[in-house]
Amino acid sequence: MKRLLVITIFIVALGQLLSAQGQENTSAPSFSPVTWERLVNADEEPHNWLMYSGTFSSQRFSRLAQVDINSVANLELKWAYQLRELDRAETTPLVVDGVMFITEAPSNLVAVDAATGGLYWEYDHELPEDLRLCCGRNNRGVAILDNNLYMSTLDAHLVAIDATTGSVVWDTEVADYKSGYSKTAAPLIVKDQVVTGIAGGEFGIRGFLDSYNANSGNLEWRTYTIPGPDDPGNQTWAGESWRTGGSPTWITGSYDPDLDLVYWGTGNPGPDYNGQMRLGDNLYSDSVLALSGESGELDWYFQFTPHDVHDWDAIQIPILADIDYEGQKRKVMMWANRNAFFYTLDRETGEFLVGKPFARQTWAEGLDDNGRPIRVPNMEPTPDGIVVSPSVLGATNWWSPAYNPQTGLFYVNAFDGEAEYFIRETEYLAGFRFAGGGQQAVSAIDNYVNTIRAIDPKTADIAWEFEITPQSKAGLLTTSGNLVFGGGVDGYFFALDAKTGEELWHINLGALIQAAPISYAVGGQQYIAVAAGNVLYSFGLHD
Amino acid sequence: MRCNVHRILLTIAAVTTLTTATAAQNTENPYSTRVDRREGLEGFRIHCTICHGYDAKGGGETNGPNLTTGRFRHASSVSGLFDVIRNGVQGTAMLGINPDTPDRLVWQIMTYLDSLTPNPSSIDLPGNPTSGQTLFAGKGNCSSCHMINGEGGRLGPDLSRIGERRDPDTLKKDLLNPNESVEPRWWRIAVTHNDNTTLEGLRVSEDTFSLRLIDENERLWSLTKKNVNSYETNKTSTMPSVEGNLTDQETDDLVAYLFSLRKES
Repeated sequence: MKRLLVITIFIVALGQLLSAQGQENTSAPSFSPVTWERLVNADEEPHNWLMYSGTFSSQRFSRLAQVDINSVANLELKWAYQLRELDRAETTPLVVDGVMFITEAPSNLVAVDAATGGLYWEYDHELPEDLRLCCGRNNRGVAILDNNLYMSTLDAHLVAIDATTGSVVWDTEVADYKSGYSKTAAPLIVKDQVVTGIAGGEFGIRGFLDSYNANSGNLEWRTYTIPGPDDPGNQTWAGESWRTGGSPTWITGSYDPDLDLVYWGTGNPGPDYNGQMRLGDNLYSDSVLALSGESGELDWYFQFTPHDVHDWDAIQIPILADIDYEGQKRKVMMWANRNAFFYTLDRETGEFLVGKPFARQTWAEGLDDNGRPIRVPNMEPTPDGIVVSPSVLGATNWWSPAYNPQTGLFYVNAFDGEAEYFIRETEYLAGFRFAGGGQQAVSAIDNYVNTIRAIDPKTADIAWEFEITPQSKAGLLTTSGNLVFGGGVDGYFFALDAKTGEELWHINLGALIQAAPISYAVGGQQYIAVAAGNVLYSFGLHD
Repeated sequence: MRCNVHRILLTIAAVTTLTTATAAQNTENPYSTRVDRREGLEGFRIHCTICHGYDAKGGGETNGPNLTTGRFRHASSVSGLFDVIRNGVQGTAMLGINPDTPDRLVWQIMTYLDSLTPNPSSIDLPGNPTSGQTLFAGKGNCSSCHMINGEGGRLGPDLSRIGERRDPDTLKKDLLNPNESVEPRWWRIAVTHNDNTTLEGLRVSEDTFSLRLIDENERLWSLTKKNVNSYETNKTSTMPSVEGNLTDQETDDLVAYLFSLRKES
């Protein structure tokens, strides 16, 4: 009976896959509501890209294989969409049944035909002129549930938008932008809720993760990333420093439906460089939090960089996979951190399994048995400056990593840089920068090594690397065609062999690539799409 | 003391009503004392370093440009620079300064930035620029590699406006020890082709997949990395030190000439 069920599921899934890939492109794409069930089973719809990191496991692994190591050399541009605002495009589009949703700077959204780039509708979010922003006017993507899209905005709102027309369904203020709060990341759908983070770690905010009712926009739960006076962990902040301790949640997390756990990274403690003003470990800054999807209650946490003084946010995408680890099947989380260490954790318990540096670092002698860094003495910022690796950009940053279950390798954009860090006294004023120091480059960027590195999560060893000149700030995509796609600040978009790192195809798009690629299919054609400069490009095989 | 100044500054910033933009129309910076410079430095560190680096030389989180050259991509006047800091540059990562910040601090940050660019009228140099000009084309043999106002070689940086980018001390260090900090544009690359022939040149630019060089005969080359056997990068300078070739006085003369090279001249 069980065997029959498995066969039936396989046939249905295969049918969906073939039907989607064989869809004739003779009529307008037919968007259909994206139910919770569709999201949970997103990997059964490889022709769609239904959430920021592809699926809840955030592997950024596409099961499409029309483009593979043999055919990738025949990739050609199929269409391009000119973004209206000239700024850095950091968007990861969604694709639903032939419709692509692209966020644009500063907080706008468009829907286009995923086969041609033809416009369906535009939504422009009206912003105040007195925003307090850390690092530019960006938006990185949206979430979708049923017929609504959910978008963060720079004035710290969460907006629900009708996916068919672009009309506003509801608009909720998440926090007061005048105090330094802002929002740039794609939300994450969890059942009938919209889970969403906050930015503002350089402005002395108190970070949190929120969940809103998808239908009403009402707040369901809020979990602060800095414990209050009555909560465990508050003692890790000296005095009242917890009130302005930052620890934002400015990139999208992951979700395990079976465990009902939301995994979300937290950013740097504030003030960034002055740890003397906030003595202690500063929980839960620079951590991953495992929260109940139902209530937001903290199940476990793992702090990567206790008492960070170099602005090394743990704002990376948690990648979830089930792997064989030391003879046992383990539900793990893989994490290449801005602090230059790669970690494999048990995602049921938070147990540290293995971790090693994946990029140049000079601040820690290693990790102890619990994964806590063993610090090299006297590497804190000083009044006259001290040179430390990684740089403030980190060994990696918010740039999406990827994991390919076929190769068993984790892929990350890794930078072997350094910076000179300074400490200064500072005072908190709402809405003003609250950094307590700064950093500066030591040498030209060309003097450092930037690579795509493939890491074995069972050992944390580096399997291969591909050098990029001079630097990459882009996310990655890996596919069932055994490919890894990435890009660089030099404007190149490229494909590597996922097993060996050999370069198989590249094209110069002429502008900085700071977004992550996606893959989808329409009418039997697999596409690879990425934003470069201010243009969204979509590639497919030559007909 | 620094803390007190900082506190006062922040307090002023928090309570001061924004002055009108009329001040920005002025062509002279009304806040240009040494105290203003110091407060401008503190303001710069609070508002600007994340993108422009702690030393204003760029390379921050958003890779903002170097602000120490006295030249700004989006402003060519005092009022233009005020407007850029106050309101930002649409379509770039440059955001306007916190709207609660008073205009005074914007001016003070400009005073700080201005102080990073050497002012020739306030510097008394030991060398003679006219003699230095003669040395540049003669004994110093500089013009064989460096171009000034369209005349000279192509195998070194164009020095037509070098006085805007380098102070005299730095210029002297460059002349005495050219290997101390060689910009990647002037690294040397030696390429070995698959047939074992070689090509050497200066690194015009390099990306992940290709190289562009200029050889000693000032010819440009573009090479695909995959199509060459190997290549090696030499990060030292092709320029010889003037030490031993020029006297101290001649070196000072050359510095004085180079420092005089700017748009106005």
